[in-house]
Amino acid sequence: MTRVVVIGGGLAGLMAAARLVDQGAEVTLVTFGIGGLQLSHGGFDVLGYTPERVDRPFDALDDFIAAHPDHPYARLGTQGVREGVAFACTFFGDLFVGNSERNWLLPTAVGALRPTYLASPTMIAADPRADHDPVVVVGLRQLKDFQADLIAGNLVKQQIPARAIVLDFPARIREADASGLTYARAMDRADYRADFADALRKQLSKGEKALIPAIVGHRTATAFTDLRDRLGSPLAEIPLPPPSVPGMRLNDYASRHLQDIRVRWILGSRVVAIHGHDRRASSVDVATSGHIIELKADAFVYAPGGFESGAISLDSYGKVLETHLGLPVQVPEGQLIGPDRTAEQPLFRSGLATDDHMRVLDQQNRPVFENLFAAGGVLAGAMRWSEKSGEGIAAASAVRAADAIGDLA
Amino acid sequence: MSTKKDPKSLTESERRQRDADRRKKVAVSQHGPKVLTLSLKEPDVFAAQQLNRASLDHCVKCTICETACPVLAVTPLFSGPKYVGPQAERFRHGESVDHSLDYCSSCGLCTLACPQGVNIAELNSMARAVMKADHMPIRDFLIGETVLMGKVMTPIAPIANAALANKPIRIAMEKIIGVHRDAPMPTAQSQSFVSWAKHHKRPAGPAPRGPVVFFHGCAGGYFEVQTSIHTVEVLEYLGFEVIVPTQGCCGLAQQSNGLFTQARKTVTKLCRQLRAAGQDLTIVSSSGSCAGMLKHEAHEIMGVDDPALIDVSTRTRETSEFLMELEDAGTLPHSFQRIDMTVPYHAPCQLKDQGMGMPAIRLLELIPGLKVVESGEGCCGIAGTYGLKKEKYDVAQAVGQVLFDMVIDTNPELAVCDTETCRWQISKSTGVPTVHPVSLIHRAYGLGD
Ligand SMILES: Cc1cc2nc3c(=O)[nH]c(=O)nc-3n(C[C@H](O)[C@H](O)[C@H](O)COP(=O)(O)OP(=O)(O)OC[C@H]3O[C@@H](n4cnc5c(N)ncnc54)[C@H](O)[C@@H]3O)c2cc1C
Ligand code: SF4
Ligand code: SF4
Repeated sequence: MTRVVVIGGGLAGLMAAARLVDQGAEVTLVTFGIGGLQLSHGGFDVLGYTPERVDRPFDALDDFIAAHPDHPYARLGTQGVREGVAFACTFFGDLFVGNSERNWLLPTAVGALRPTYLASPTMIAADPRADHDPVVVVGLRQLKDFQADLIAGNLVKQQIPARAIVLDFPARIREADASGLTYARAMDRADYRADFADALRKQLSKGEKALIPAIVGHRTATAFTDLRDRLGSPLAEIPLPPPSVPGMRLNDYASRHLQDIRVRWILGSRVVAIHGHDRRASSVDVATSGHIIELKADAFVYAPGGFESGAISLDSYGKVLETHLGLPVQVPEGQLIGPDRTAEQPLFRSGLATDDHMRVLDQQNRPVFENLFAAGGVLAGAMRWSEKSGEGIAAASAVRAADAIGDLA
Repeated sequence: MSTKKDPKSLTESERRQRDADRRKKVAVSQHGPKVLTLSLKEPDVFAAQQLNRASLDHCVKCTICETACPVLAVTPLFSGPKYVGPQAERFRHGESVDHSLDYCSSCGLCTLACPQGVNIAELNSMARAVMKADHMPIRDFLIGETVLMGKVMTPIAPIANAALANKPIRIAMEKIIGVHRDAPMPTAQSQSFVSWAKHHKRPAGPAPRGPVVFFHGCAGGYFEVQTSIHTVEVLEYLGFEVIVPTQGCCGLAQQSNGLFTQARKTVTKLCRQLRAAGQDLTIVSSSGSCAGMLKHEAHEIMGVDDPALIDVSTRTRETSEFLMELEDAGTLPHSFQRIDMTVPYHAPCQLKDQGMGMPAIRLLELIPGLKVVESGEGCCGIAGTYGLKKEKYDVAQAVGQVLFDMVIDTNPELAVCDTETCRWQISKSTGVPTVHPVSLIHRAYGLGD
């Protein structure tokens, strides 16, 4: 049986582990903390801006790849991205819905319309192209991260008929300031949903669509449809800044499922070194409390995230580093940080270079180790936030790496 | 401050003034004006504590710790790890800025989940020690004295057990010392582990795998005697010589109650005792949380830098972890008898905090027929001594509720968990007998009666 160590518990690590288990590998996943998936909006981006807004990502990808030869998508090809998306759809099942190859256009917590390829089924009714229902944005006095009037105002500026209301409806008695998660935990209970539906129904007129913060249930999968049925009006969630309940639903499902299928799960310890010779990696060192454990394996998938998780960093001498294993970093040429703060900063394209199998390359474009693969935010060449490409890169590179490991065996 | 007043009678503003004065004193005498005063009374032991403090700058406010906190999930009285941890720490200069901190159970799940390496739980524990320094409830002294409790209760086990099962006595205990009347209490055993070990006959002949040291902990010495016996018998069956040095407490209960001065002495003394058994030997422990105290908490929370601790911490292995090291090296015999059963398994927070995953799951599933269902819950609520306290009892029960339901639904006959206090909590709240994983291994190797 092929033994594989996956490093990182974000979307890339989770997808790699799942694909490897499907192939019959014995997988250990080591992650220092919980990954970025739980902070996500609950959808799955493939390509949102080039910088023009993209409607059909798979129609735009060939041109995008031609224009960005150093982008991870150029290693994966349009077909590779499709395979990644297909695998994510299979893995997450009905937690995602597609829009017949088009990007959804969904309101954010500031009322901007944001493209995403797969969406949470609790959000799709918010796409303004779906109907012409007038919108009621429902704020909660005790939830400070969701300003209904700001959102409604910005929707109106985009020609969407909208008004704002604010309910005085605490998640817990006498709690003045609650997070979306506290609300979601209350919404897990049928009695709370019933009371909430009663309070909200009184404020809605016939034909109006309610857009509420993404708080409808953390662990109860049927909470959303139940609330919508009780309300009797069209309903959609708008994602909040973290703690993001839709992101938690995805992350909880994925990590729980992988542990159930017996991926060995090591949370809270950092991989601090990789060992090998003759271009073959043989083990990694994991710094658990008190002592180092050495995990031997046949292949390694390195998915530690990018700048945002600290895996790529810039030192005080202006040198860009891969923080944990000291792997060679591909850095864009020229000035890394420009004077215009709002413009694209080339620095963020820094990361690991790979071949088409996702093997990490050194400065001479040779694999550092034949059996060391990289996936996700650590890859060089992307501007994930502005392109809205993060999940597509993570899933597709993970699938490619896992399949390459399958071919090794 | 010239006159010394009983700290209990200080008003809030006097207390603040006193904290500030004291801070100044330490600031000038020790570290210059920009001092980080955390452990005011022992400013020379906190290099590791300074690192905890430095880690707060890594916080990106992602809220991942909040989602992991079991206390925040059940009560609005606590403002949560991000607030009382990195956020409040920025404003602490010796004095306490947020008293809801006392609701933190020190379960450590926030630190475990944080992807940026902020030592949130460690910061909380340090800040609590400072906050409680002058008005420590007598109860918190008493429940830190775990050895004393065992020593007193063992010779009078039937009387002690009857007393602890007696409602009026428990109500009195709650009133006088603040231990909740329904909180789980250990069952005193008529024989301590040490007295068993004295009469225990080792297998004849040399031990082919050589010696290991067994660290039983206070609970394993006085209350969970059976777990300790099973561990020794399994290790001997595997061919180890088991050395049981005279040993005291690890100080975990003192540490989690903010009694750092006492806990530092206790843990350092224990490390000397464990080292006396042999300098390079592996130390095996079936007390999940006490192993964590030795491996990292004493150093990371209390800043103990004693070389004896550093040496002991690198050699300490929790029992399932140790057995899985043998398995991974291909030397664990698979001569297990079938046990056709599904068991709920809960990994205690302080075991998860050791960052080694859950070795017990893989271990138990080596037994043919045994299916393990992991609880998926962070903490059972007890968090050492937290759930015993009358003002925390309801919070602790609410924390454990989902776990209790899960245990009963999975198997009302038997549950598995690696730490003593958590087993007491689970079995008290569910009525389901709860054992250490090693007890099932013991049975599967055919070592039971
Ligand atoms: C707040 C936020 C908002 C974002 N918004 C968007 C968006 O709108 N659109 C978009 O396309 N993308 C966005 N991104 C980026 C997107 O999250 C990522 O592109 C994608 O999820 C990357 O996943 P990953 O698995 O590569 O890395 P991550 O999710 O960062 O996971 C990496 C994991 O690896 C662990 N790890 C790191 N080093 C080690 C080590 N040495 N040993 C063990 N474990 C290690 C980390 O603790 C972490 O858990 C956002 C990211 C963040 C943080
Ligand atoms: S998880 Fe860590 S980085 Fe995130 S808010 Fe908590 S302390 Fe800060
Ligand atoms: S140690 Fe536990 S109770 Fe305390 S803040 Fe962290 S997660 Fe919450």
